[in-house]
Amino acid sequence: MMKSVPVKVEHEGKWIPTTMGIGEDRIHIGAPLDCEIPYKSMVDLEEKKNQVLITAGPDAEETYRIASVEKVLSVLKKFVITQCSAYRLNAFFMSPAIRGGVLVQDAHWEKGAIAVMKTGIWFVSQESQVCIPLGDVAGIEFTRREIQEKDLDVVKIDHLIENEVVTSFVLCPKTTLQVLYNFLSEATQNTKYDEELDPLTGQVAMLVYSGMDSSAIENMLKLSHKDLDAIYERLLATGFAEVLYVRKEIQLTAKGVRYISDAVKSPTN
Amino acid sequence: MGRILIVDDTMFMRTLLKNILFSGGHDIVGEAADGAEALARYQELKPDLVTMDVVMPKVNGIEALKAIKAADPAAKVIMCTAVGQEQMVKLAIKSGARGYIVKPFQAPKVLEEVKNVLSA
Repeated sequence: MMKSVPVKVEHEGKWIPTTMGIGEDRIHIGAPLDCEIPYKSMVDLEEKKNQVLITAGPDAEETYRIASVEKVLSVLKKFVITQCSAYRLNAFFMSPAIRGGVLVQDAHWEKGAIAVMKTGIWFVSQESQVCIPLGDVAGIEFTRREIQEKDLDVVKIDHLIENEVVTSFVLCPKTTLQVLYNFLSEATQNTKYDEELDPLTGQVAMLVYSGMDSSAIENMLKLSHKDLDAIYERLLATGFAEVLYVRKEIQLTAKGVRYISDAVKSPTN
Repeated sequence: MGRILIVDDTMFMRTLLKNILFSGGHDIVGEAADGAEALARYQELKPDLVTMDVVMPKVNGIEALKAIKAADPAAKVIMCTAVGQEQMVKLAIKSGARGYIVKPFQAPKVLEEVKNVLSA
């Protein structure tokens, strides 16, 4: 028995209103796609605002874009995460635990499941569904944390959410934790680095991390515009940073100077 | 907005915190580079809030926190330490810290934490 819900699906570059049946072992998407997708054939699930992207096999993997209200997507995600083809484990997780260096006050351990998919890790519990895209993982650490007065092994994941650095923790039996850690280490090879920064460049990187703009960095470290540009080039070359935007510094032409001179003249002159 | 004393043994971190807090409209009434100086500056300046590094020479942040709380039980202190020293949280909270920030930190979150502690 499938429960039918209204959705929009992307078809040939357009969003088409249709219905989607959510069943125990598959979903059915109505016309114009008119297809059934078993959960077991799904290999990836991504979330973008009010859309989910489901990638399913078996051979030529196809991605389905589905848009709907949060409630519908939440039910759909839960079925997909708990039944799709992914490495899954039962675990406790705390996400987010730290945001921008500040401990999240109401952070608590949630009992649920973790599904490791092609492009991200999903945490699902009764209360929440949290996705950490692998491309946004900035660090993984096998560490210990005091939980209910016991020192227990956890995996600490640093990741980005809209340019904010967030830390999440996963707690499960040590052997499973090691598997998760190894998988994540492998999947996030692209953010590993060998480069060492000189102290000044390191300080600039720290200030960028903290949210300082170029002008604040120049003032704090008493750097000229040219010196800071050279440091930025080093950070760009190492792949530690990317250009957010290019800002211009200008000076007035004779025409501009004339305009300003005229503008400050008293009307009676 | 509050009158804040910044305690950290590195000038770089003090300058960074000063910039962040100043951008949030706070007054930086003083700075200290170790725990002993922190207590002296606290008694002299009576700030609304202290940001306190944990690892410092001479007197560390936890000891300085205890000394400040002994002198003024209503003192509002936010502890500040590096990643991996989160175990210090419990000790700091037990010793009377009102908040905790972990280095490296991001400006908006620091301002949020300061606002929360000041308004508590």
